[in-house]
Amino acid sequence: METLSNLWLGLETALTFWNLAYCMVGVLLGTAIGVLPGLGPTATIAMLLPVTFGLPPVSALIMLAGIYYGAQYGGSTTAILVNLPGESSSVVTALDGYQMARQGKAGKALATAAIGSFFAGTVATVLLAVFAPPLADLALQFGPAEYFSLMVLGLVASVVLAHGSLLHAFGMIILGLMLGLIGTDVNSGTTRYTFGFPEIADGINFVVVAMGVFGLGEIIGNLANETTRTVMAKTVKGLMPTREDLKQMAAPVLRGTVLGSMLGILPGGGAMLASFAAYTLEKKVSRHPERFGKGAIEGVAGPESANNAGAQTSFIPMLTLGIPSNPVMALMIGAMIMQGIQPGPSVMTEQPVLFWGLIVSMWIGNLFLLVLNLPLIGLWVRMISVPYHFLYPAILVFCAIGVFSLNNATFDVYLMAMFGFLGYIFRKLDCEPAPMLLGFILGPMMEEHLRRAMLISKGDATVFMSRPISATMLVLALILLASVLAPTVRRKREEAFQEEA
Amino acid sequence: MRALKLLSAAALGIAISAPTFAAGYPEKPVTVVVPFPAGGASDTTARVTTQKMQESLGQPIVVENKPGANGSLGAGQVAKAKADGYTLIVGSIGVYAINPVLYKSLPYDPTKDFDLLTVAVRTPNVLVANPNFPANNVKEFVEHLKKNPEKVTFASSGAGSSDHLTAALFWQKTGTTGVHVPYKGGAPAITDLIGGHADVSFQNLGAVSNHIKAGKLKLLAVTAEKRNPAFPDAPTMKEAGVEGVEVYSWQAVAAPKGLPADVKSKLEQSLAGALNSPDVKGKFNDIGFEVVANTSGQFSEFLNQEISRWKTVVETGKITADQ
Repeated sequence: METLSNLWLGLETALTFWNLAYCMVGVLLGTAIGVLPGLGPTATIAMLLPVTFGLPPVSALIMLAGIYYGAQYGGSTTAILVNLPGESSSVVTALDGYQMARQGKAGKALATAAIGSFFAGTVATVLLAVFAPPLADLALQFGPAEYFSLMVLGLVASVVLAHGSLLHAFGMIILGLMLGLIGTDVNSGTTRYTFGFPEIADGINFVVVAMGVFGLGEIIGNLANETTRTVMAKTVKGLMPTREDLKQMAAPVLRGTVLGSMLGILPGGGAMLASFAAYTLEKKVSRHPERFGKGAIEGVAGPESANNAGAQTSFIPMLTLGIPSNPVMALMIGAMIMQGIQPGPSVMTEQPVLFWGLIVSMWIGNLFLLVLNLPLIGLWVRMISVPYHFLYPAILVFCAIGVFSLNNATFDVYLMAMFGFLGYIFRKLDCEPAPMLLGFILGPMMEEHLRRAMLISKGDATVFMSRPISATMLVLALILLASVLAPTVRRKREEAFQEEA
Repeated sequence: MRALKLLSAAALGIAISAPTFAAGYPEKPVTVVVPFPAGGASDTTARVTTQKMQESLGQPIVVENKPGANGSLGAGQVAKAKADGYTLIVGSIGVYAINPVLYKSLPYDPTKDFDLLTVAVRTPNVLVANPNFPANNVKEFVEHLKKNPEKVTFASSGAGSSDHLTAALFWQKTGTTGVHVPYKGGAPAITDLIGGHADVSFQNLGAVSNHIKAGKLKLLAVTAEKRNPAFPDAPTMKEAGVEGVEVYSWQAVAAPKGLPADVKSKLEQSLAGALNSPDVKGKFNDIGFEVVANTSGQFSEFLNQEISRWKTVVETGKITADQ
């Protein structure tokens, strides 16, 4: 009953004219920066922070939150249309989404992403409203040992992302892990592999790598053979998903929502894993895993739902504990502090209008996004037919602006160019960049948590098995690894036997 | 054509002679570099202060975040910037006092490359523990540490952070030891402290006050000269029997060395006016910051004290963080 009256309070707050307007502005802006490659919510929110000082706290947070989840929506658009994932979460969307686009099913892929995201957003908002405090306490059970095991599971799962050679995938993961080591070591404060460049003392930014390897690599690669894209533009068919498609995506959306909601709660980087985990799950449960990477609709539906669900539930530790789970949440906390609100457990009791108003506004924002995005699909799809010599320079410029805005540093732009060249080489060598990116994200986090767990346990490595949550995840990782390797091993043995016979 | 030449010559003349009579300062927007990401303590300090300063300077002030390498990337750039008053820096105790004693090669020297303007705000650190931690006061805590050497985990916001060095100072003053567990920033350290994965930590009061009020963290002592009005029951370190552990995290404003005297005095006036205005003071008090607003001379004297103090701590504790 209390929840209902709280929701009513939230509805009253979120439905005032100005709050609706700020929500709308937020999601519009979010969609726009999400669509523009390289410009992310972190840079945008940082730039808009001063503007929000003049607003009432609720309106300010409603707008900032709108930018955040709006960007998640918009990000998938560029990932699908031009293979440019601006956020770690849309890397996997690009895998099958871009293939769908190449087959002329861009509209269907975009609609799947929008519908899946809306459903996931709705469920996650309800979860946030009803279970926020107990879920936040559950998240606190995750210590360094648990996070390490979760990362191991994620890393093993990343092998599944590859649909080509397993050896290439392993190679790319290891390359990603190594790139992730660049920067300052958390434990000793020593900088590693920076070659005296203070610009990379904090490591290489994810966006720099993703924009370079995916975006620039794709552009260079396409310039080599222009034919593929003309085919793409001509064969656009069926903008909206058919009844058949809807049936096909129902289960992946549901699974993605559950997985994303759970991972999003973990403040130590769970939300980042949501879309990767959902993709792995879909490929594992699918009866036709060979379709993945070639335009499987489940490969878009699952991860997109998971990433939006995760984006919503990552507000749980921020709102209930004052703990930021990613840079965007850290900025939101900064915004609250500027408004004179001390983030923490008391926000819910002392600022019920803010807490519930924000939650209800998130659902309204998701509705805005759906209404906004479905009609826009026709327009987006037409973007593919923009000729190369207009589209590519534009993408390049936006990538450069976006990357520059991360740290206000030109160094990052040069670094992106270098990764663009690397990306082209990877394409030529048939090495997929997605596993590398996951290794790049997970590697440093894994190391950090491993060493912290060992520090706290005073060097006792059994912590990973003696703590139940951690042990469960390691066992899962082992099973997954066995299931990935088994078919390859069996095939090898069969080949060997045939040779003998 | 000739008129144009004359005009440009005149313009050039004005441009050249401009620095000598900078009465018009500021004639264009002023950039304030914050060498940390938006949303942090330095950023908050810069934005709250500059918002007020715009009124007295009559020009917009742009806050630019240049994070990287514990603040030394942005500080290094400001050190090399033109000393015309259009580039300022708002940095933390780390930028001014800790980086210089911790890193052998730093792209700036805070005592030589900057015109120090003022220490804007400060906030005391507090010793907090997980509620289930056995010790309930500093005396019990010291006994517990002595009985369990190298056992208790001290979470910090990073190797070489002010809370790391506070812990080291505490060990040195009490003759105890502990395990230092560094995190990437204060937030994850506080998270693990609440979750019980780490035992204790020295954190900025503002960052943990709400958790203390909610009973998620146990407050053992404040590292301030006197008790904090928000937590009148918590003793200072001195009251609890530990001398010499008065530590504040502070944020200060500086400019590249060699500001024209009139520009410097204008900036000092504007800073003092902004920091002492009731609404700015109120905003800082709400988030646990205390306005200091000292003079450049006081700042310079204070900085020398801080540097020599942390130098001793780093040398005694053999703390290293260098390539």
